[in-house]
Amino acid sequence: MSQLEPFLAFSAEVTAFPIVELQGTGQAESYLQTVEDIVGTQRLDRLLVLYQSLPLATREDIRQARADRLRRDIFGSDELGPIARNIIKLWYSGTWYELPSAWTEAYGPAPQDVTFVVAPSSYVEGLLWTAIGAHPAGAKAPGYASWQWPPHIPPFAGDPAATPR
Amino acid sequence: MISSIKKTSLAEIKARLEQHPIEAVIVGTGISGAIIANELTKAGKNVLLLEAGPGTNLTLQGYNEFLSNFYGATSKDNQAPYPVNPNASMPRSTNLRKLQPGETDSATYMVQSGPYVTDTNYTRVYGGTTMHWEAKTPRMLPEDFKSQTLFGQGVDWPLGYDDLEEFYQVAEREIGVSADVEDQSYLGVTFPKDYVYPMKGLPLSYLDQQVAKRLDGTEVELYGQRYPLKIRPFPQGRNGIPNDKYDRGQGYVPVGAVSNHQIEIGERCQGNTNCVPICPVQARYHSGKTLAKAFQRATGSIHLLVQAVASRVVIDPVSGRVTALEVKVYKDPKSSEHETVTIAATIFVLASNAIETPRLMLASGLRSSSGLIGRNLMDHSYLLSWATMPEICGTMRGTSVTGGIIDLRGGAFRRHQAAFSVDIHNDGWGWAVGSPYSDLTTLVDQYNLFGPELRRGLINRISSQLLLAFMIEVMPSESNRVTVDPQYTDQLGNMRPVVSFTVPEYTMRGAAYAREFARTVFARVGAADQSRYDPGDYGYVAYNGQGYAIRGGNHLAGTHVMGNDRNRSVVDTNQRSWDHPNLYLVGGGSMPTIGTANVTLTLAALCYRSARSMLDQLQ
Ligand SMILES: Cc1cc2nc3c(=O)[nH]c(=O)nc-3n(C[C@H](O)[C@H](O)[C@H](O)COP(=O)(O)OP(=O)(O)OC[C@H]3O[C@@H](n4cnc5c(N)ncnc54)[C@H](O)[C@@H]3O)c2cc1C
Ligand code: SF4
Repeated sequence: MSQLEPFLAFSAEVTAFPIVELQGTGQAESYLQTVEDIVGTQRLDRLLVLYQSLPLATREDIRQARADRLRRDIFGSDELGPIARNIIKLWYSGTWYELPSAWTEAYGPAPQDVTFVVAPSSYVEGLLWTAIGAHPAGAKAPGYASWQWPPHIPPFAGDPAATPR
Repeated sequence: MISSIKKTSLAEIKARLEQHPIEAVIVGTGISGAIIANELTKAGKNVLLLEAGPGTNLTLQGYNEFLSNFYGATSKDNQAPYPVNPNASMPRSTNLRKLQPGETDSATYMVQSGPYVTDTNYTRVYGGTTMHWEAKTPRMLPEDFKSQTLFGQGVDWPLGYDDLEEFYQVAEREIGVSADVEDQSYLGVTFPKDYVYPMKGLPLSYLDQQVAKRLDGTEVELYGQRYPLKIRPFPQGRNGIPNDKYDRGQGYVPVGAVSNHQIEIGERCQGNTNCVPICPVQARYHSGKTLAKAFQRATGSIHLLVQAVASRVVIDPVSGRVTALEVKVYKDPKSSEHETVTIAATIFVLASNAIETPRLMLASGLRSSSGLIGRNLMDHSYLLSWATMPEICGTMRGTSVTGGIIDLRGGAFRRHQAAFSVDIHNDGWGWAVGSPYSDLTTLVDQYNLFGPELRRGLINRISSQLLLAFMIEVMPSESNRVTVDPQYTDQLGNMRPVVSFTVPEYTMRGAAYAREFARTVFARVGAADQSRYDPGDYGYVAYNGQGYAIRGGNHLAGTHVMGNDRNRSVVDTNQRSWDHPNLYLVGGGSMPTIGTANVTLTLAALCYRSARSMLDQLQ
């Protein structure tokens, strides 16, 4: 069964970019593939199943409970945390970062686990650039003299600066 | 633009050599070699260009491959676009490490014999180092040419600003400089009445403006004199809006991308923030643009041999004249297989930069009767200071640098300490700590942020970055030098350059003041200082109880110094060797001092001047 859907759902929540935008980068399949190739399908499955079992966030108090569970069960897991963090970094920069050596010692070996840029296009599609209202150095140039104006930082759901909690 | 640049095969060159004697052999296709080639072909001379690199970027496809290499590279350092080539290697900053006293590190192509480890670099590909230069093009100040007389520091040039002024204009035309005379007339720099730059100045970035708003009009005091501060735009060798007043109203037509077939890109700078290491649209000047003109005009009298590494200069011991150049022509960068050919010509021009030119001379056993070949190596020392602005400034947009502070490029304080020019980096803390990637890993891995908190955290942290890069003057010192040593060779058996360098005390005094100055600027703009220098950094220099991470400036100079006295210089004011009358050593190596100007505009001006002398000699 394709893990694309839950992978995108998880990615959207942890990157704070909506699924359509993630799909718009054209990188979803290759990122999923990258993660599966490196840490194994089963381990990723476990992460995604855990993710799907989190309480749905409809009310503010449940939202908090969900974030706490996400933090405790996934990001706080010795085994799954580094993978979750790597998925965020993949989306933001197009780069797979080598997992911490403690992870490899406990759960390795993962022979393909080295720092690399998934593809030239994944660098260009990194979310980092969109998030800060810039563009990847060397691509998607914004146009002559655009740099003299203030940046357009796109608004996003849940922005703590917009909705102080 | 259409052009007919093409490589010529070794077999063709050999066949031609028998029928048409070559008038000038030029080693290197960087800006120095390109200017000389273009000037000589204008006068109908028969020219052979030798390039150590493979020349794959002659085509747009090849150029774009460099770009794709860059996108796909994990380390986005200066040399990331350029494939490793053991037959024509180049220095690379990612492989450096700190040296213990007395230690030599030969793990990188440019052997570091210390004590200071420099991450300065250059590119050995078609187009030379202009393939990845940043293209700031300030002129030297008139006072820079007389630093011994005025400040008791360094040496005076055998030429003055007025001697070079007309050649500065020619170089500005060729490079296609965007700037406004009003902004560039300072500290004695003058322009002829009615002069305008080819293109209008590039506007200051929003970040520059946020700094200017709080800093402009303030002053600093140094040795009893006050210096007013102002953020100004730098002149840039990248396409902006042509100035229709140029050339007494004739205007200027920018040169776009060049290739060996017609293409339609590369007019105006689009703000790719990637001038270093490679401009995707060729808005920024590279010497392929100059060579394209030469090839277009003079098909038949200019030839290019790539994968051709000049390996020995052969001299007639009686007359001192160069009789030939020995060149190793390799088939494949991966293999050392090569053929050695001997090329004769009327004049020989070494334009292979201030490290490779002395390296070749020394490897040929030619030390110059002055003993100065390879000595007086200069390069600007950079000190970085970085901080967080009090608000979002849109960092990571625009050309690498649009504005900075030039008010301390000149002044009476130069009796005591080095001058500097300050860049405001539009690419944030990238140079200092690897932003924005390091910000991402810090916030995700260390701060444990995800979701909206992460996204907001990245915005706040990256978009408010301010980095000041101080480009500090370095005066000549004979012990700072390039040498060769038979125990260090490359895949073709050519001796590699060995660099010994100590950052002079005069420069360190400037660095210490630069650090103080940065604090003052941060205080005035309300920025939070984040700078720190790690004692384990390869460029760490201790001075007066403080430590500073000093970076190389990529502005190599001094190693075949020009002068009026053949016992105290290697070349004359035409960059012609005193010892070898048909040999020219051109480029930054000829510069006696470098002041606080990025060297390329000045070395280009010198090349235009020298081309006249070459033509006289070839009459
Ligand atoms: C990152 C970076 C940023 C820079 N930014 C600026 C800036 O903003 N402003 C500025 O003024 N300057 C800048 N510079 C410096 C500038 O790039 C150089 O001063 C200039 O390009 C030197 O030109 P050149 O032709 O003398 O030498 P190079 O461009 O180095 O050309 C030497 C040529 O010789 C070839 N060659 C070398 N050895 C051999 C051999 N044995 N046989 C055959 N061919 C050989 C090389 O392949 C190359 O083509 C920057 C440099 C770097 C690295
Ligand atoms: S900012 Fe860009 S488009 Fe402009 S010169 Fe630099 S890389 Fe080229």
